[in-house]
Amino acid sequence: MRNLIDFFLKYNYWFLFILLEVISFALLFRFNNYQGSVFFTSSNAVIGSVYKLTNQVTGYFHLKGINDELVQENVELKLQLERMNQTLMTLTADSSGIERIKRDALGDYDIVKAKVINNSLTHADNYITLDKGEKDGVQSEMGVIDGNGVVGIVYQTSNHFSVVIPVLNSKSSISCKVKSSDYFGFLKWDGGSSRYATVKDMPRHSMFSLGDTIVTSGHSAVFPPGIPIGTVEDMTDSHDGLSYLLKVKLFTDFGRLNDVRVISRKGMEEQKTLEIEVKEKK
Amino acid sequence: MIQLFSQLKWFIGLVLMQVLILNQMHVNGYATPFLYIFFILKFHSRVSRNELMLWAFALGLIVDMFSNTPGMNAASATCLAFFRNTLLRMVTLRDMDEGFEPSVKTLGFSAFFRYSLLACSLFCTLFLMVDTFSFFNLPVLVLKIVSSLATTMLCVMCADAMGRKKS
Repeated sequence: MRNLIDFFLKYNYWFLFILLEVISFALLFRFNNYQGSVFFTSSNAVIGSVYKLTNQVTGYFHLKGINDELVQENVELKLQLERMNQTLMTLTADSSGIERIKRDALGDYDIVKAKVINNSLTHADNYITLDKGEKDGVQSEMGVIDGNGVVGIVYQTSNHFSVVIPVLNSKSSISCKVKSSDYFGFLKWDGGSSRYATVKDMPRHSMFSLGDTIVTSGHSAVFPPGIPIGTVEDMTDSHDGLSYLLKVKLFTDFGRLNDVRVISRKGMEEQKTLEIEVKEKK
Repeated sequence: MIQLFSQLKWFIGLVLMQVLILNQMHVNGYATPFLYIFFILKFHSRVSRNELMLWAFALGLIVDMFSNTPGMNAASATCLAFFRNTLLRMVTLRDMDEGFEPSVKTLGFSAFFRYSLLACSLFCTLFLMVDTFSFFNLPVLVLKIVSSLATTMLCVMCADAMGRKKS
């Protein structure tokens, strides 16, 4: 007995050590969620394997019941499928209607596919040459767009080719507006980067914010309204202080221009002659 | 009594340093220096193992409370305190009867460095193993241990050098 007490006294630090470690780990498992979850997961793995084993044995006894359930479910699914099919039929009829509306909307415009065969970016006045001309229905003052947005306006045409004044040309001036608020201005290019252009004559009371989308206004008879041009990147006052200048990041990447569409509005001629008549009367 | 106050001063200073500054450091997302164990390393060589363990436990627990890791620092620090005298005996040939406070001055650079290195590796390994709680990502764990060990050693040696200058 005395020896035992001596032993305990001699190695008392072991007991203290173990006690302190036990307290520490008790705290750890109680408070620390991650360690706790690991602890419980490992213990659950044992329980889980026991359950699995039991289930493997008892599962056979439930097969008949499971079979009944499956038949029931199958019938329900068949009924559902029938109902879905009917709904789909009505919807398909609707979607063809939507297509028709779309077609009607574009009915006013002729669209000609064309390929860019010559292009420049670095000059002050850049031009694009297309492989379609008058014989294909391309005439001057038609709009040119690509998949991303506005490219430019047809300038001169020959029988099989045409030259386009793109946005990246000092002569280019495209009527455009802020998509969200409909205030309009003119898209000009002042040289520099081929990724940016400027919107001029934006009224001072106009409402827009950086990042807004600029689209064509549809006022000029060249482009239909709503064709995307770019996003507002920055804004400054114009030199006379009467309007805003918007720096626009263009959607169209002129460096990679390849397939474009030439669009012309039916009745464009009529509008043009009318406008000329009015000017002449002045 | 004066010694106790001095101890408490170190204790509070190191805890604050650890929880306010060093715990916020994660060099490259891995290394965290554990300077507060300097308190355990510097204890007089004749202090009883029980006393040292209690100090270490309290120290670790307070650091834990601050850093929301209940028990982790306490467990590792207690363990370090438990083995400290053994480590000290391993690196020193001196008779343990004459007491000394481990430092470069008393042990010499080589011995103190080895002593700190052993102690810090023990602590870092224990702490980060408990922290990770699995060897699931062994390379990351090893990287954490090695980087924490390096920064801890750097801090410990700096702290010792500063203490030397003062005295």
